[in-house]
Amino acid sequence: MQDVAKVYDGGTVAVRDIDLEIFKGEFVFFVGPSGSGKSTLIRLMLRQELPTSGQIWVAGKEITALPGWKVPLLRRSIGTVFQDFKLLPSKTVHENVAFALEVIGRPKHVIRSQVPQVLKLVGLAAKADRLPNQLSGGEQQRVSIARAFVNRPLILLADEPTGNLDPATSVGIMRLLDRINRTGTTVVMATHDHAIVDAMRRRVVALERGRVIRDQSRGAYQMGDEPVGVSQGIEHDLNEG
Amino acid sequence: MRLQYILEQAIANLRRNILVVFSAVVAVLVMLALVFATIVIRWSIDRDIIQWDDNVRVIAFLNDDLSLEEIGTMQAEVQGWDQVDEVIYFTKTQALEEFREIFFDQPSLIEIVEEDPSILPASLRIKPTEAADYSGIRDRLVVMEGVYKVSAAEDAIDALVSRAGTMRGFALWIMVILGAAAVVLIANTIRIAIFARRDEIGIMKLVGAGNWFVRVPFLLEGVIEGMIGAALAVSLVWAFGGPIAELLSTASSASAPPNDFMFRQAFVLLGFGATTGLVGSAFGMWGFLRD
Repeated sequence: MQDVAKVYDGGTVAVRDIDLEIFKGEFVFFVGPSGSGKSTLIRLMLRQELPTSGQIWVAGKEITALPGWKVPLLRRSIGTVFQDFKLLPSKTVHENVAFALEVIGRPKHVIRSQVPQVLKLVGLAAKADRLPNQLSGGEQQRVSIARAFVNRPLILLADEPTGNLDPATSVGIMRLLDRINRTGTTVVMATHDHAIVDAMRRRVVALERGRVIRDQSRGAYQMGDEPVGVSQGIEHDLNEG
Repeated sequence: MRLQYILEQAIANLRRNILVVFSAVVAVLVMLALVFATIVIRWSIDRDIIQWDDNVRVIAFLNDDLSLEEIGTMQAEVQGWDQVDEVIYFTKTQALEEFREIFFDQPSLIEIVEEDPSILPASLRIKPTEAADYSGIRDRLVVMEGVYKVSAAEDAIDALVSRAGTMRGFALWIMVILGAAAVVLIANTIRIAIFARRDEIGIMKLVGAGNWFVRVPFLLEGVIEGMIGAALAVSLVWAFGGPIAELLSTASSASAPPNDFMFRQAFVLLGFGATTGLVGSAFGMWGFLRD
């Protein structure tokens, strides 16, 4: 991102002076209080929003000048995970994941082989025929991660993926995101979950009122924070996984 | 697979809001049934007008027992009147010829006439110098020996021409008003369908479904609604068009339009229904299915 700013109608400045480079295969946290601009950055990368000024490159392509009909192609190279899972309640786990491939026109045999594979990756192979409301929150988030990853995107954007989950369940989700990151997928995650950020020790981009106030590799949620207690446990778990 | 998917979506949408879809279909049905009925009626009026050819305004049908000389004398006499521009002797054969031309699509009628040619009398066809003179000519012909019937078509022609004009205006207004209603109703069904599936659409956009992949099922839904309405309208008028035309036509021999004419109009109507559906869904999607 180069000199990116986004001003919403009505003059609210969501982000400003953003100069940020995220490398292929990185795991990056966007941290900061509500309204600091984390979600806006994610929306900008997805081209759900256009920046008021500046330029954004995703996978080597400048996306602010992208014609509308190419936006779907951009989004096929990005997987997305949200706090509220965004699963279709009337579809089974398998159907929810398959849906992502169906609507981009993947042939049936690809769907048949890819979906079980990714469900196995997220540990839900046995629950493929359940409906979302028969699953726990953590399991639902796994389904949504499976859906985001089934097309093997270059980038995975996660906006508060653990926001609705208890700490123990969050650990499982983070382990999963970490595993996906190790396949070479760039993971960008917006969060305000201190414990997770502190435990993972990955690059941290801290935002406040729309500006980057800190960009630190292997950082903690707050400057000077050290991983303690439970967090160390997570770190240990993650290394095991 | 994609085609199948798109069709399934469109049909699922139609099922989901069956009542709203019903209202949209009925609007299209009423609009196109009225338009189609108007087309059929206009067809019979146009044929009535052909029958009363513009150049022949007063026709004196002659008794069958007249000799050629007698007819010649009559022709010469009428030709002598100053209101008369031209007198043409129209034989029974010519009358039959004309009848065949007009009723080319009704072999049963032609058969009857061919079996009994006396049905079609010979006539003198008189063109007045001034169109307004026709009543004077008629009055003099009526009392003439050998004339059994006089037909002055002026009134009928005037009435028909003006009725044709009214019909055209009527049809146009029906199309404008009901067309607008149908478009709005279809737009409404599309909007409801989009609303019902907004989560699904959101996810489709997020995982990179093509814009048209998202839109086409909704366009198709509108087109299907329009075409169902049009198909119903066509079958309705096809079934009852003949009787309606008979009721409204002034010609004694009104009949339903021939099938090839009906087919052509039916296709136009189906196309019109589809277009109405397409425009309706386009309106319904307006601003909703952007990225």
